[in-house]
Amino acid sequence: MSSAQTKPATHAHKAEIFCRDEQRVNWHSKALWTLREKRDRAASQVPEWETLRKLGSHIKQHSLSHLADYLTEFESNCIANGIQVHWAKDAQEHNQITHNILAKHQVKKLVKSKSMLTEECHLNPYLEQRGIEVIDTDLGERIIQLAGQAPSHIVVPAIHLKKQEVGDLFHEKIGTQAGASDPTYLTRAARAHLREQFLSADAAMTGVNMAIADQGGIIVCTNEGNADMGVNLPSLQLHSMGIDKVIPNMDSAAVLLRTLARNATGQLITTYSSCYKAPKPGGEMHVIIVDNGRSEMLKDKILAKSLKCIRCGGCLNTCPVYRRSGGHSYNYTIPGPIGIAVGAQHDETHSSAWACTLCGSCSFVCPTKVPLDKIIAHQRYLKAQAQTLPYGKRHYMPLVGKLMANKTATNCAMTVARTSLNILPHRLLKPFSGAWGQHRELPQAPKASFDTWFKHNRGQK
Amino acid sequence: MKIALFIPCLVNQMMPDVGIATLEVLEKLGHQVILPEGQTCCGQPMTNSGCFDEAKNTTLKLLNAFKHVECDAIVCPAASCLVAAKENFHKFDNSPSAQIVIDKLYELTEFLHDIAPIKQFNHPVPSKVSLQMSCHGIRMLSLATPSESMGRQFNKVEAVLSAIDALEIVYPDPRDECCGFGGTFAVDEGAVSAKMGKDKAQAHAATGAEYVVGFDPSCLLHLDGMIRRQQLPITTRHIAQILNSAL
Repeated sequence: MSSAQTKPATHAHKAEIFCRDEQRVNWHSKALWTLREKRDRAASQVPEWETLRKLGSHIKQHSLSHLADYLTEFESNCIANGIQVHWAKDAQEHNQITHNILAKHQVKKLVKSKSMLTEECHLNPYLEQRGIEVIDTDLGERIIQLAGQAPSHIVVPAIHLKKQEVGDLFHEKIGTQAGASDPTYLTRAARAHLREQFLSADAAMTGVNMAIADQGGIIVCTNEGNADMGVNLPSLQLHSMGIDKVIPNMDSAAVLLRTLARNATGQLITTYSSCYKAPKPGGEMHVIIVDNGRSEMLKDKILAKSLKCIRCGGCLNTCPVYRRSGGHSYNYTIPGPIGIAVGAQHDETHSSAWACTLCGSCSFVCPTKVPLDKIIAHQRYLKAQAQTLPYGKRHYMPLVGKLMANKTATNCAMTVARTSLNILPHRLLKPFSGAWGQHRELPQAPKASFDTWFKHNRGQK
Repeated sequence: MKIALFIPCLVNQMMPDVGIATLEVLEKLGHQVILPEGQTCCGQPMTNSGCFDEAKNTTLKLLNAFKHVECDAIVCPAASCLVAAKENFHKFDNSPSAQIVIDKLYELTEFLHDIAPIKQFNHPVPSKVSLQMSCHGIRMLSLATPSESMGRQFNKVEAVLSAIDALEIVYPDPRDECCGFGGTFAVDEGAVSAKMGKDKAQAHAATGAEYVVGFDPSCLLHLDGMIRRQQLPITTRHIAQILNSAL
């Protein structure tokens, strides 16, 4: 889309382009809202739902507050189980470590199951440049990999594509019949295609949903079983996790597993929730623990709370802005409310923090009570402090502040505005009313303010 | 009770009828109502954009307008402004005199539900109304259980209105999705804001209600602009206006 030199477009700009096709926006919004409705039904059937959210929040907050202890406990238990543990301070180190392991085993083909962390680290291009073929095995991930796109959602990464588009893509890439778009047909074709990949892979890599400190093992959740299919075939398995994934024990995992899938898709639990805690006989198991900015976020009390997230995607499904602007408009790997919370600092246009009305729906949906709207407001504050406000705010906000603080000036300005709205034809005012008048009728202005009415009708006081 | 009105700038300048209805409702209920002078903006347009320095002056002026005003409660007919005032007063002034003001702040519906419930209405209102459950009112002021939350449900807005004879209350689908106003969001993110407003206006109209009734004037102003642009057969009313016609 844009070359390395040109600045990416703002969220508002990308969203405006997304909104031009209203039928598509309606379709996109409805597909995601359906997930929200399924979530509501699943959550409403658990009488202790709000208690589970509270527990989930406490578990994650507690783990983050004792992060160093739990990470070292996790590491020593992993080592005792025969797992090799690596620490990566950033994406570069993560990719190097991964490549070193794969190169040592002369891996030609790596099957990968869904991991937003490897997306965050841009692992695929790194390995491909070094001659290793990487196959994403989650169906949605494979679709966007074949399409050469980035995920637009953290749980349903190809949600932005219609089945006809997937049909055309599969026809071109894996030889399905031209024009075929039946989901069952396409899924079966994808399954056959992926089976070949699984069978010919030299190594498997997965993300990590939870790292269990007292077990020295990791939990991976998928619906397609692709993580297990990958891990159980070759002798070499790798698992990448952010430092925020560690939790104390299996009891903690039990709480989070009860909310994770319900909040994501309305399922009671993911089809496969697998715990890996040792290499296969004669094989190797590696866990790579990645910081990549997380400990920096932990230093900020408000941003730190975003690390409680368990990546269910519920906040994306409920977000009225995400549903109407698409996952590719946020200038970060992770879109939607959680994407703004953890990624606004990476947005060169500084606009993503404003892709939000602060409605708060995300914070109430969240299974670990991440205060997303508060974090997004805080990201705006950080932008203001760094003098990187978007949309001309740096220039007009001080003026608005001054005007609003001066009652006489506000009254004069608003009297002029009301008079103009009353006496001038609205079609004359429209060019000056910007985005408001483009989409909405201008307000019907009253003759006078409430202050004035009160003075006339209720005397002095 | 002696009540000081907090009339946000938007209501003062653009929707005085909402202020008048609020005043009349409170007077009809037997309260003594005053309007402290020198009220300015609560600072929300600035603080919502992260600009706290720019908000400080106007917020403190508004706070000072209420300091040392003799009253039992400060009542505001706009949930979003009330939430912002509460938060911003606290942020910029943590003195005991500021806390006294903060402790007296109520949104109108909240006041009529929690503090001084209406004993009886005098007139039926034979209308079907679609309630606009605005975000800050339900999610930050707890006026009702938001649709995301499970367990025991409550709804102060419906509780206050449901005692009115002949009034039929319905909800848009989805019930409490944001209308897309969001302050400067309406301008910064014009396309998404407009689409949200359009969807919300249509959802209200689809209920067949005569009025969209809400407790947040800014959302109502936005919806009014969308409704007239879409030429939908519905109009907006503030909850104070409905209550006023029933008293």
